[in-house]
Amino acid sequence: MKKEIANFKINGRPYEVIVTSNMTLYDLLRELHLTGTKRSCGVGQCGSCTVLVDGNPTLACSTLAIAARDKEILTIEGLAKGAQLHPLQQAFVDAGAIQCGFCTPGMIMMAKAFLDENPKPTRKEVSEGLGGNLCRCTGYVKIVDAVLAAAGAMIKGGNP
Amino acid sequence: MKEELSVVGKRVPRWEAYDKAMGTAKYTVDIELPGMLIGKVLTSPHPHARIIQIDKSKAEKLPGVEAVITFEDIPKRLYTPNRHDLILYHPENECKDMYVISEKARFVGDRVAAVAAVDGVTAQRALELIEVKYEVLPALLDPIKAVEPGAPRIHDFAPNNISLHLNFPGSRGDMRKGFQEADSVIEETFRTSKQLVSQLEPCACVASFGSDGRLTIWSPGQSAFLQRRKLAEIFDMPEGMIRWITPHVGGSFGKYGSLSVEPVCAALAKKTGKPVKIEYSREEDFSRTETRQTYIATGKIGVKKDGTITALQEKLIVDGGAYFSRNSTTTMANMGGFTGLYRCPNAAAEADCVYTNILTTGGVRGYGNSEAMCVLEQLVDKAAKEIGMDPIELRLRNIKKAGDPDNKGLPMETCSLEALIKLGAERIGWEKKRAEKKENGTKMRGIGMAIMMDLSGAHPSCIQHRNAYIKLNEDGSANLTVMAYDMGQNLSGACAQIAAEILGIRYEDIHIVNGDTDSTMFDTGIGASAGLYQVGHAVMNAAQEARSQLLDRAGKRLGVRADELEAKNRRVYIKSDPQRGISIGEVTKEATYNFKGEHLNISGKGSFSPTQSPPPFAAVFAEVEVDIETAEVKLSKILYVNDSGRPINPATVEGQVEGGIAQSVGYCLTENCVINRESGVLESDNFTTYKIPSTLDMPETEIILYEEPVASGPFGAKAAGHGVTIAVNPAIANAIYDAVGVFITDMPATPEKMFEALRRRQAAI
Repeated sequence: MKKEIANFKINGRPYEVIVTSNMTLYDLLRELHLTGTKRSCGVGQCGSCTVLVDGNPTLACSTLAIAARDKEILTIEGLAKGAQLHPLQQAFVDAGAIQCGFCTPGMIMMAKAFLDENPKPTRKEVSEGLGGNLCRCTGYVKIVDAVLAAAGAMIKGGNP
Repeated sequence: MKEELSVVGKRVPRWEAYDKAMGTAKYTVDIELPGMLIGKVLTSPHPHARIIQIDKSKAEKLPGVEAVITFEDIPKRLYTPNRHDLILYHPENECKDMYVISEKARFVGDRVAAVAAVDGVTAQRALELIEVKYEVLPALLDPIKAVEPGAPRIHDFAPNNISLHLNFPGSRGDMRKGFQEADSVIEETFRTSKQLVSQLEPCACVASFGSDGRLTIWSPGQSAFLQRRKLAEIFDMPEGMIRWITPHVGGSFGKYGSLSVEPVCAALAKKTGKPVKIEYSREEDFSRTETRQTYIATGKIGVKKDGTITALQEKLIVDGGAYFSRNSTTTMANMGGFTGLYRCPNAAAEADCVYTNILTTGGVRGYGNSEAMCVLEQLVDKAAKEIGMDPIELRLRNIKKAGDPDNKGLPMETCSLEALIKLGAERIGWEKKRAEKKENGTKMRGIGMAIMMDLSGAHPSCIQHRNAYIKLNEDGSANLTVMAYDMGQNLSGACAQIAAEILGIRYEDIHIVNGDTDSTMFDTGIGASAGLYQVGHAVMNAAQEARSQLLDRAGKRLGVRADELEAKNRRVYIKSDPQRGISIGEVTKEATYNFKGEHLNISGKGSFSPTQSPPPFAAVFAEVEVDIETAEVKLSKILYVNDSGRPINPATVEGQVEGGIAQSVGYCLTENCVINRESGVLESDNFTTYKIPSTLDMPETEIILYEEPVASGPFGAKAAGHGVTIAVNPAIANAIYDAVGVFITDMPATPEKMFEALRRRQAAI
């Protein structure tokens, strides 16, 4: 197995890591004890492992770590500013959009990428934007509520 | 008069939501221990095969492999993964038929060997080096074939592969007379769907033996104490030598009421002396762990022209798969639901639970009753059509009232079914929509409804023993220690609301200790929506004891009797003179650091054993559009009218209902479990082939929380989460029946099955 040293910037912090050629981005995050990113299907069908790579929503389970080399990776752990929750995180808490919580990190990261593109979405657009992220607990109603509430808060307070 | 409440009934955020939103909540898959090995399980590729020989020498020699175990290395003790044999009042209906690792494979996915290695890649490589010689046996993949004379036995002790015959003990009346009195008799056979649980966190476990010989398990188990006892029995250890920790659980829905990989993980940890983690992939989770049963259900209903149901009969063949697990309790729940919903004087049910060489089954949300209502509530609509009566009218003539027996035969404190039906019918515009023209090009519109009654825990069939402990801290905050689990159902949050209300402190002043058999008191496990009604009650009792200590202590400070005091807003004050009072923090601090030596750590312990199990009720309405060209069903609306008593947290109850609707939409329309009829292989083993609903599959949903408090529940609350999968499926099926006159007897109603049903109907006209 080929091994090499690669650099990543994850949640604003630089990392120098030895990666093997078959290591996924999910494996890399786990190796760095960033366990917030969850894996449910392992083959890119459920969205649970969504992180942002240079701002683009990316399925960490199906992306090779080496492909994210020298890029900026944002995971759920990097979203809050210290104790200050990101408006999406706050909205998910307030709206009751979290039940078991296993889909939550991927859902929030996907919602962030979506709102970055479309800051004033309709309910239908939010549903479509989150169509690739599965949740087994909530029936999605309160998740969509939360994203709409966060959109409102971000317009008022500025997109952090 | 409604009492003034400060915390109960409020939409407060769930206590653990911040950790989950931040990515800091730890699940079993996130547990990492120093020196931890990775375990993997080798499973049978054959649905039915005897193992002739296993050669593990090559696997053992692979560098990095620390243990390879087969049936020769595990305790020779049969067990059942299901918890009910430990708490059922009639355990003779239970069956121990499983080993940690089997000598004979009974389904594709049955455990044959296991490996622990330094990493996952090595463990996987080692699995491939294990050489197994199988004697392939004829496979029984259909329950009807399994019971034919001369069929090979899947378990030696079960002739004809019938694991259990059940005559429903609550059967009543005279069936022959009941059907004779009827003007119309309808009989149909249904095949319910084998739903895969599809919790998002794949099945996982970590096991570790300490230097003192104590075993610690991290697992998503939802019956920690009973699961601990099962492990203790398998490994011949005292219960106290096992500590079971249930961290945050990425969805359970009943599945983790059973043991899954814990015994094999513990066996690997024992053999290696090191911590071992097993984490299934999605395919492994789907193809190896418990699912819903398939019921081949023949239902028969007799009705008079005036709408009186005179007889109800159900005969079940239950495809329980390769192991018995939850067959008896799920089947009893089915028969209780079928015979119990309506007042009908003549009702009977019987069942054969059957072994097949199919993926093993367990108890999944709304179990038994969900499958029963698929049958009963569709029969009711067909009967209504036969006698030319509106199905709502027919239901209103036969539903039960307060005081009538519930599904378990216990008298009901309340029964809101009539109110729920009327409320929903009014809201959705039932009469107008039923009368409307149905055609819209190739699309046919339909509206249907169904009702249900469920339960608040497993009383009176099982021991239900709940405990909670509360201690007040020096600052007036409190620790609530309770086995409430966190599977997403927010039981702990609701318990905190109950405790805060009684103690007169804020919701955020309650700090919860949960999910650890070393710190919490005994509990019989969550299931059948026992949580809030039962555990909440233990919390209420604990909080009341702590409150009484608090008021006593405050009374001494204020120079009045305790019964003259009230606790609210973090103060204890005199009821007749609210200005005179003292902060709770001051009382607790003085009691903790008492320089006169009169120390007291204000605390309370509460227990609860139910004498009732008040049913939650629902009336569910569905609107569909069926395209007769493509056979596609578009679900446009679900209206769910719910009675869970008084909601402790309305947002939580809504969330349970919304999630239950989604699972039912999948169960009814999209989730098609496909097992190859020759190889026994689960073909729908990922989220593309097994399609759980996404945002795009969900209809418009509306929920009405109808509140009829029950006197026996904590603050009037009863169950919410379990029963919400019961009535949605038949409501959708009835809407399809209204739209196109097709009866959904083979679930789910996928376009393929709908196409075939429409074709048959066309041919019959």
